[in-house]
Amino acid sequence: MPVIEVVNLSKKFRTNRKEPGIAGAVKALFRPVVQETAAVDGVRFTVEPGEVVGYIGVNGAGKSTTIKMLTGILEPTAGMVRVLGRDPHRQRVDNAREIGVVFGQRSQLWWDLAFIESLNLISKIYEIDPGRYRELLDQFCGMLDLGDLLRVPIRSMSLGQKMRAELTAALIHEPRIVYLDEPTIGLDLIVKERIREFIREQNKRNGTTVFLTTHDLGDIEKLCRRVIIIDAGRIIYDGPLTTIQERFGRYRTITFETAGFAATISLPPGVETAPQNPEDRKLILKFDRTKTTASKVASAVMDQIDVVDFSLAEPDLSSVVRQIYNGALKENVPP
Amino acid sequence: MRILRYCRLYREFLLQRFKILMEYRINFLIGAASTLVLQAASLLTVWVVMRQVPNLKGWTFDEILLIYGLVTLARSIPHMFADNLWTMGGQYIRTGGFDRFLVRPINPLFHLLADRFCHDGLGNFLVGAVLVAKSSAAVGIHWTPFLAVYLIAAVISGAAIFFALQLMTSVSAFWIMESVPVTQMVFNLHEFARYPLTIYPKVVSTLLTWVIPFGFASFYPACFLLGRPAGILPWLGPITAAILLAVSYRVWLFGLRHYASTGS
Amino acid sequence: MIRRIWTKMRALAAFAGMIPKLFLAYRLWVWMDFFVRIFSLTVFYYFWNAVYAGGGDIRGLSLAQTLNYILLAQILSPLVQSRLPMVMGRLVREGDVGIELLRPVDFQSRWYAECMGVSATMIVIQIPLVIIACVCFEMHLPSDPRVWAVFAVTVWLGQAVVFLFDWMFSCLVFYTTEVWGLWVLREGVAAFFSGALVPLQFMPEWLERICRAMPFAQALYVPVSILSGIAPVSDAPRLWLIQIAWIVGLGILSRTFFGVAIRKVTVQGG
Ligand SMILES: Nc1ncnc2c1ncn2[C@@H]1O[C@H](COP(=O)(O)OP(=O)(O)OP(=O)(O)O)[C@@H](O)[C@H]1O
Ligand SMILES: [Mg+2]
Repeated sequence: MPVIEVVNLSKKFRTNRKEPGIAGAVKALFRPVVQETAAVDGVRFTVEPGEVVGYIGVNGAGKSTTIKMLTGILEPTAGMVRVLGRDPHRQRVDNAREIGVVFGQRSQLWWDLAFIESLNLISKIYEIDPGRYRELLDQFCGMLDLGDLLRVPIRSMSLGQKMRAELTAALIHEPRIVYLDEPTIGLDLIVKERIREFIREQNKRNGTTVFLTTHDLGDIEKLCRRVIIIDAGRIIYDGPLTTIQERFGRYRTITFETAGFAATISLPPGVETAPQNPEDRKLILKFDRTKTTASKVASAVMDQIDVVDFSLAEPDLSSVVRQIYNGALKENVPP
Repeated sequence: MRILRYCRLYREFLLQRFKILMEYRINFLIGAASTLVLQAASLLTVWVVMRQVPNLKGWTFDEILLIYGLVTLARSIPHMFADNLWTMGGQYIRTGGFDRFLVRPINPLFHLLADRFCHDGLGNFLVGAVLVAKSSAAVGIHWTPFLAVYLIAAVISGAAIFFALQLMTSVSAFWIMESVPVTQMVFNLHEFARYPLTIYPKVVSTLLTWVIPFGFASFYPACFLLGRPAGILPWLGPITAAILLAVSYRVWLFGLRHYASTGS
Repeated sequence: MIRRIWTKMRALAAFAGMIPKLFLAYRLWVWMDFFVRIFSLTVFYYFWNAVYAGGGDIRGLSLAQTLNYILLAQILSPLVQSRLPMVMGRLVREGDVGIELLRPVDFQSRWYAECMGVSATMIVIQIPLVIIACVCFEMHLPSDPRVWAVFAVTVWLGQAVVFLFDWMFSCLVFYTTEVWGLWVLREGVAAFFSGALVPLQFMPEWLERICRAMPFAQALYVPVSILSGIAPVSDAPRLWLIQIAWIVGLGILSRTFFGVAIRKVTVQGG
C-alpha cells in the first residue's frame, strides 16, 4: 500500500497585479487586477514505504507548492492527495504527527531560544516519550555533531548549523515520512555530505520515506533511486534515476587522441566539434544520439586521421538534467 | 483531557517566553513602561477635563474611571495572550512563517497565540485593576461575593469580546497579508467604550451594543455595579461573548483554508 | 556654487517625492487610517459636547472654540507622529547605517527631506477629514489668508523642531533593540504633550509648563491655535522666535548625539 498517493493534483494561485506609477496605485485603490496562475497542474504519482524520491525541476516549477499540499499546509484547488490514507489538509493534525518537514529557505524553530529549548518544546508538542527522546537526541548529536550547538540560539547559528538543527527538529519525533524542500541549499561540501549520510541512515534504519526537492544533483545521485521531474506544474518524468541517463542523454561526447595535429575533417550529420585546446593532440566531438551512433562517428573519424586512442564519456546527470530542463525531453518523449 | 494537554503545553511555551524576556531585560522594562505611559496620557486627559466640570452628563469622574478601568482590564487580557494576532500578517503570513504552525500536531491558532505571550499587557492589566479598585472605593461600591463574581464574569466576557473581534478581523491577513488595518478599524471603536454610552447619539450606542459590542465590556457592567438602570443588558455580556467566540472561530477556520503560503 | 546647491536640492526633492507613492501602495492602510480617524473625531466631538453640557465657557474657551481646536488638532495630529525611530531601528539592526552614510547626500538632510515629504502628504491626505469635520462636526476654518500664511510657517518650523527631536531620540536605537516599545513611548508622550488630546489652557499650570518645555507643542498646539483662532495672528513673530530657538538648540544637540551614537556602530563593526 502506497504511503503517498496523488491524483490529478492542481493548485491555482490568485495574485493582485500592481501597475507601476502613481496612476496604477490610484487605480488599484479602487479596482485591483487579479491574475491566476496554475502552480501545480494535474500531477499524479504514488510513493511506496521506504522510498527516497527526488522531486526536481526548474525554479518556479511547482515543487514547493506540491510539498505544501502533501503536508497539509495548502488546500488543493483540485485533485486528491492521500498520505497514509488520510487527507492531509482535512486531517492536518493527525497527519502532522506522522510527518517531518524541513524548508531549507526558512526556519521552523524559535529564533531566540537556545536550540535545546526549542527541541524540548517540540518534544512536548509531539508528546515524545522522555526516555526515547533522550536516546534519540544522543544518537542525533553523534550523527550530526550537534554537541556544541545545543546551547546556541538559532538566531546566532550559521547556515550549516541551522540546517542540522532543522533536520534534528524535523526528525526527532520519528516521522514515517519526511519532506525536505532544498535541505542542502547554500551548504558547504562537508555539511552536505553529513546531511546526506544522515538522511540515508534514517531511511535505512527506520524505513522512513523521504520526499526531497533540490537543485543539487549530488543529493539526487547520492540518495535517490527514483526521480520525478516537474516542469510548469506538470510531471514530465517519473522513473528510476538510471533510466534518465540512458534514455535522455541525447548528446554525448567522444574524445580522440590523435597522432598528429587534427586537420579539418568532414563530419557526419549530427556531430559537432566541442571547444578544445589546439595544443593538445585531442579531438573532442559532441554528437546527437538520435541522429547517429558512437561507432559511426568513430569510424568516420578514423577513416580521415590517425587515432591513438579514443574514449566515450558517460553522460553525467547534470548535463542530462540541463537538457531536460531546456526542453530536450519534450521532443524525445514517445507519445 | 485535550484541554489539560493544551494547558500543560501553554505552560511550556510561557516558560520559554520568560527565558527570552529575561534575556532582554531592558526591552522588558521599556515594553512595560510604554503601555503605562500610553495609559497615563489618556487618563491625564480625562482628569484634566473632568476637574473643570462637575460631571459628564450626570457621570462623575470616579464613575467614568470605573468604566475606563473595566475596558482597560478587559482589553489587557487579549493583549497578553493574543497579541500575536496583530503581527500575524506581517510576521507570519507575509513571510510564510505560518507554515510551521500547520505542520505541527496541535491547533494552529493555539500555536500562534502561545508562541508569544505579550508582557506589555501586564502593565495594562495593572492599570485597569488599580482603576477599578480605586474608583469603586471612591463611589462606595459595597463588594459582596456576588458582585465580585459578577465583576470577574464581566471582565472575562469583555476580554472574550475583544479577542473574538480581533480574531475575526485578523483573518483578513489570509487574503491580503496584512490584518492590522482591518483589525485596527474595528478595534479602535473601543475608544467609544471608555465613556458612558449615554453621551453619544442613539446610533453610536446601538452600534456599540449590538454590532461591535464593546459596551458589554465596560459600560453595562459599570451600570450594574453602580446600581444605575440599564435593563437586562448588564446580563447579556457572557452570551454575547460566547456567540461572538463561536462565530469568530468559524471565520478563522474559513480564513485558514485560504492560506496561500508564499512562493519559494 | 548655486548649481551645486541646486543639484543637492533636486536629490532631496526626489527622496521627498517618493513618499506619496509609498502611501498609495498601502491602500488598505489609507482606508483604515481614514476610518479610525473619523471614529476618534466622533468620540471627541461627543465627549466635548458632554463636557460643555452645563453651558458657559471653560477656562475662557467656548464650546465652539474648543471643538474647533480639538478637531483640528486631531486631524493634524500626524504632524507629531514619526516613523523615524522605527526606520533608524531597522537601519541599525540590519547594519545598513554604514551604507546610508556613504551616500553622497548628508544623512540628516536627506531624512529631513523625507520627513517633510511625509508631513506634506499627511496634510494633503487629511483634506477629506477636514471636509467631514466641517460638514458633520461644525468645524470652522478661517477665511483670512494672513492666518493661513502664518499657519503654514508655524507648521513648517514646528515640523523641523519635532524632526530634530526625533533625530536625537532615534539615537537611542543604537543602544537597545526594543525599538517598538520606544516608539510607543514616544507616541504616547507626544500625543498628550503636543496638545492633541486637550487644549493646553485646560491643564493645571504645572502640566502646561511641562508641555511648553517639550518640543511637541511647537508642532501641533502652536499652529493649531493660530488656525482655530485661539491665538491671534499678531502673536506670530513671538511664536516664530521661540520655534527658531528650539530649532537651533535641537539642531546642535541632535548632531552631537548622532555623532556619539554612530561611533558605537563603527566600533562594533556594524
Ligand atoms: N503563495 C503564492 N502566491 C502566489 N503565487 C505563488 C505562491 N506560491 C507559489 N506561487 C507561484 O507558483 C509557482 C510555483 O512555485 P513553487 O514555489 O512551487 O516553485 P518551486 O518549484 O518550489 O521553485 P524553486 O525551485 O524556486 O523553489 C511559481 O510561479 C510561483 O510564483
Ligand atoms: Mg521551492
